[in-house]
Amino acid sequence: MKIRACFLPLALLFAAFAATPMWAQSAATPAAYAIKGGKVFTLTGTPIENGVVIIRDEKIAAVGAGVAIPSDAQVIDATGLEVYPGLFDPITQIGLTEVSAVSATQDISELGDFNPELVAATAVNPASAHIPVTRANGITEVIAAPGTAGFDSQAGGIIAGQASAFHLAGWTMDEMQIRRSVAMVINWPSIQTRTFDFSTFSIKEKPYSDVKKEYDKAVNQLSDWLDRARHYAQAKEKGSPALYERDLKLEALVPVVEGKLPVLVIADEERDIRNAVEFCSKQNLKMILGGGADAWKVKDLLKEKKIPVVLGPTERLPEQEDTPYDKPMTQPSELFGAGIPFAFSSFGAAFSRRLPQYAGTSVAYGLPHDEALKAVTLNAAQIFGLSDQLGTIEPGKLGNVIVTNGDPLEIQTQVRYLFIEGRLTSTDNRHRELYEQYRKRPQAAR
Amino acid sequence: MSDRLNRRRISLAAIVVCCAGLVSWACTARGEGGEPRYFAIKNARIVPVSGAVIENGTVVIAKGLITAVGTSVTIPPEAWVIDGTGLTVYPGLIDAGTNLGLPPEEGAEQAAATSGGRGRRRAAPPGPIAAGPEDRPGTSPWRVAADELKIDDKRIESWRNAGFTTALTMPEGGIFPGQATVIDLAGARAGDYVVRATATLPISLKPTDGWFTFPDSLMGTIGYVRQVFDDTAWYAQAEPIYEANPTKTERLAYDRTEMVLNCALQRKEIVLLPGNNSIQILRVLRLADEWKIRAVLYGGQQGYAVTDALATSKIPVLVSLKWPERPKDADPEGEQTLRDLRFRDRAPGTPAALAKAGVKFAFYSDGLAEPKDIFKSVKKATGAGLSPEAALRAFTLEAADILGVGDRMGSITPGKIANLVVTDGDIFGEKTKVKHVFVDGNWFEMHEEAAPPKPDEKKPSEEREEGTAAASREIEGVGR
Amino acid sequence: MKRVNLWIAFLLAAGAPLATSAQNPSTVFIQNATVLTVTHGNIEHGSILIRGGKIAALGADLKAPEGATVIDATGQFVIPGIIDCHSHIAIDGGVNEGAPAVSSMANIKDVLNPDDIDIYRDLAGGVTSANILHGSANPIGGQTVVIKLRWGKPASELPFEGALPGIKFALGENPKHSNFTMPPGVPARYPGTRLGVEEVIRQAFTEAREYKKQWDDYNQRKAAGEQNLIPPRRNEQLEPLVEVMEGKRYVHAHCYRTDEILMLIRVANEFGFKVRTFQHVLEGYKIADEIAAAGAGGSTFSDWWAYKMEAYDAIPYNAALMTERGVVVSVNSDDAQEARQLNQEAAKSMKYGGLSANDALKLVTLNPAIQLGIDNRVGSIDVGKDADLAIYDHDPLSVYAVVQRTLIDGKVYFDRQRDIAQRAELEKEKQALLDKEKKANEEKKSEEKQEKKPEQKKKPPKSDSADGAIARGAL
Repeated sequence: MKIRACFLPLALLFAAFAATPMWAQSAATPAAYAIKGGKVFTLTGTPIENGVVIIRDEKIAAVGAGVAIPSDAQVIDATGLEVYPGLFDPITQIGLTEVSAVSATQDISELGDFNPELVAATAVNPASAHIPVTRANGITEVIAAPGTAGFDSQAGGIIAGQASAFHLAGWTMDEMQIRRSVAMVINWPSIQTRTFDFSTFSIKEKPYSDVKKEYDKAVNQLSDWLDRARHYAQAKEKGSPALYERDLKLEALVPVVEGKLPVLVIADEERDIRNAVEFCSKQNLKMILGGGADAWKVKDLLKEKKIPVVLGPTERLPEQEDTPYDKPMTQPSELFGAGIPFAFSSFGAAFSRRLPQYAGTSVAYGLPHDEALKAVTLNAAQIFGLSDQLGTIEPGKLGNVIVTNGDPLEIQTQVRYLFIEGRLTSTDNRHRELYEQYRKRPQAAR
Repeated sequence: MSDRLNRRRISLAAIVVCCAGLVSWACTARGEGGEPRYFAIKNARIVPVSGAVIENGTVVIAKGLITAVGTSVTIPPEAWVIDGTGLTVYPGLIDAGTNLGLPPEEGAEQAAATSGGRGRRRAAPPGPIAAGPEDRPGTSPWRVAADELKIDDKRIESWRNAGFTTALTMPEGGIFPGQATVIDLAGARAGDYVVRATATLPISLKPTDGWFTFPDSLMGTIGYVRQVFDDTAWYAQAEPIYEANPTKTERLAYDRTEMVLNCALQRKEIVLLPGNNSIQILRVLRLADEWKIRAVLYGGQQGYAVTDALATSKIPVLVSLKWPERPKDADPEGEQTLRDLRFRDRAPGTPAALAKAGVKFAFYSDGLAEPKDIFKSVKKATGAGLSPEAALRAFTLEAADILGVGDRMGSITPGKIANLVVTDGDIFGEKTKVKHVFVDGNWFEMHEEAAPPKPDEKKPSEEREEGTAAASREIEGVGR
Repeated sequence: MKRVNLWIAFLLAAGAPLATSAQNPSTVFIQNATVLTVTHGNIEHGSILIRGGKIAALGADLKAPEGATVIDATGQFVIPGIIDCHSHIAIDGGVNEGAPAVSSMANIKDVLNPDDIDIYRDLAGGVTSANILHGSANPIGGQTVVIKLRWGKPASELPFEGALPGIKFALGENPKHSNFTMPPGVPARYPGTRLGVEEVIRQAFTEAREYKKQWDDYNQRKAAGEQNLIPPRRNEQLEPLVEVMEGKRYVHAHCYRTDEILMLIRVANEFGFKVRTFQHVLEGYKIADEIAAAGAGGSTFSDWWAYKMEAYDAIPYNAALMTERGVVVSVNSDDAQEARQLNQEAAKSMKYGGLSANDALKLVTLNPAIQLGIDNRVGSIDVGKDADLAIYDHDPLSVYAVVQRTLIDGKVYFDRQRDIAQRAELEKEKQALLDKEKKANEEKKSEEKQEKKPEQKKKPPKSDSADGAIARGAL
């Protein structure tokens, strides 16, 4: 008995040690958190007034109105505040870029047109200033998509590589990673007779027949790659090991042709979307449409083929002069009305924090508020097959939760508490630091 | 005895030679030396443009001028009489904007094609980079079309055969490409063609291709032209003062542009300024007013939208007959804006709108490949409300007036130059054939075109030429 | 006879009120809205009476006069029309005259394009005036102009009457070509460093000073009766710089880093002028005191950053911090899309830096008006000012606010309901024109077949872009 008694504190200490993740080794890290007193928007039903959310071991342990608060939990008083799942930005270049104009910091688009074996997670810089800046506005997880064009950066090749999903907190990618490969990024070859020639800074016109030929060639090449991947898969499975030569690119495409890894096809114009949908259908690929500026023109097709859409920034100019001025803002509500699953995204890094603003603007132009909330949380998780882990506040899901002082889609709303993978994460970031630093500058001599 | 034989031989030889000369005269194309200079076209329908139509009348031509027009005209005995029964006589047509006689160089055509844009603008050749106005980019106002005419340009004949007797031919390339010349479309030497060598000064506001040489924007181009006019005005003031007081100031530097432009502006030369859509047109009207030049607008296809402003400005318009249309190899799903569609739909209505508003205008072919394309374009304009009389006027007297030669051509009036076209029907009629064309009183009779030779069938003259060439090659070979 | 006269009299009498109650288009009454005046608080259930394009009266207890066009704004919010202090819309033929280091002979006013659809789109975002600027390719760029977004009017009616003209300067990476290289064979353009950027500006102003002196000398001597004087040449490049030194032309300087901002203040002092606004000025928060002391305004982005090295220290607190230190600050767009959401961008300074709602609203209304010297006419809802107004269906600083109407000089230039109602008609017209063209092409093709022309040599495609512009017609 005596022995057991003195073992007890040791045992407890050991238990505590074992329970908390390695990197959070400090006496101050709580075993659990209890967010109480706030209005909890689980996104699974009616919001819970005066609800409690328990977070333990990276996950949400419990949520409800009368949930008991464990004794080892740090209590977060959310009285007068609101609790939401963390926001999810599913198309970004976060971590793959620091300063757009400085190519040394850019790892978005590799050379060459067919790079299926590249994976974004390889080069995401966990120390990027974009990460704390972005999460300070409530975005807890993102997908970095190689080859996508952002503000001041151009798109990559046709098969640009694999997009990776990760949390916006962690020392290394291993810690941050949610899933290394969530989709194969394909920039659909667009038929453009009018292009901007950077060498002369002017607009060049090409004859349609020339451009069409180039397009056909590109699509044929893409088709070839997929065919070869199929043969590769077949050879790998059934052929003789002695005759089998490993090919990294084809290997990367095998899950794509087997329909296991979706293709995130980036296309904005109507014809490109149509062509892409037709192609993916013929090739039996699982397609997700990225960008989709003209999606409203092909709603029936998207509905019929069950293609979800990850929209580019809602706040953009219409594609064509005669398109109604508010089309990009009303489109989300149109897609919702047509029953097409969609999510919002920023397609950027520096502007990722505008994600809730895009969603809010679409509410202004007709999308129901609840749907807009889902389109920045749950929908992206569903589209990319991560909804068992993310997107709602439900027991068992990852503890990616934000506590705000109001409607997260409203401009003035601030994130008070931020949980990523169940850890309370600071909202400090480069911008706030510079603000604080220069606020303290003494009055300059006149 | 032998002497007399020799003398007879010589005179025989002389006679043969003279006859041969006569024979060769008869075989030469009309319009070369030794031609008849007196004509009368009688019993024809005459459309003078400057007055009422004469249903059955006579036109008399003598030494390049019209000497009489009317119903009871005395036909001089020396006149070659042409029976005009069933025919109509019109003033020769004037194409107020071409590059006839100045065919674009081979390389330039290619460069223009690849650089995009309408074929007229050439890509800036890799040459010196202009850093500012002082480098006078794209400026060569001293080039005069009359000095560069290549009269073997096959298009001249093609235009003439269709009834055009006169054209304004313009040098191209740059902002101040040079001075455009009014030419009549016939002559033995280049100089014969020239009616007025420095008729107009065209200006182009298209900036250079690329962003590294001045000017590379529209505003830069306008700023440049403004500076050039400033410099010219300065020169006009400074030069006489200096010449009168050379010991008082540092001498003036030589700038060819200033000198040439000053001459042109002093004699109030017409300056052609480009403006096709309503914004460009209104811009040009403002600039013409600012620069106080005698301006004529070219392009003008959206004139229908700004007739009031044009009428008030009193600036004449050369309307391009190359009506806007969708590019040939366009993207079938490419964006077509309502704006473009409306423009393409309404542009052919511009001439009618200008006529109604009392704006003076003429037509130019703007690079259309063949005269029949010109007539197709005119048909669009008449189909959109332009009266045939106004169309004819635009091609004749209005064009002549605008180009400053209205006192000497453009209508069938005694004293004016005998530029005429004689047809077997209405000049704009599709089935109408041109029977005769007179250019400066030189007669061109149209013959029915022979059927084109079958590929293996060669014309005798071609064969002869080939044989000669082959022979000379052989000789060359032997010579090596 | 008498009865007829009576009838006539009766009709005339009856006709009189009919005549006065006919719509007088220049009298407009916006009623029952929340009016955010910016200068003297918000008026609940307020109304605005507009006469002749100006705000004639303002208050909670006004009644619509006979004959006024009434705009019922019940439940809606009226703010002064948004003023975008950095815009490149409505420019024809290139935003930059990029070749020379000093391109002040180029003038935006020469190339205004009133048919740019972005004018309409920005109107639909509540913008009524904009500072149309040359690009940032040169240390000293072209002359600039303030316009009102009078969609449907010709170019000559766009410039804001009485607004002083401006000129664009650019400091930092863009004018020194940091982020691109010349094509092969083309020499690099001076300046290549910030050191050279300063030199270009100083050199230009030195020449401008000399130029002014030459003209002053000449004018003096001429006035004194001297004969046979050859005048100096007019120099379109230097004249705007003389105007800057004489205080007749505002300098709007694109800049990022503290050192270049301070450099320009120093250079301006040397040549006796003040910088009117620092544009972008993303590091302005670091030297707000100096900017305030120099009397310059700061016109910045809400939250753009990290697109260039010089934008890496940009923070969304910039506007609030500079405001705190006494700089007159505006938030601008530099982009036709951003201009449609300036109300939202202004609101961000409430979150980042704690500005009050009214101070945030000022960032896109009164402050840019002050910066552009047009605050006697616009920028707030005050009696006597121009009736340039934007009407929203929600609090304009909310993400949920949508512009319902935009007025300039008391005329409705944008009406959301009217825009929506007209769409079907415009589609119909477009389809009809497309069908007409298709039919004409088919006829032409069959005609050509009949003619049995030999194959024409294929001509390269011609771009009709330059000629394609056409007035869309006012709504």
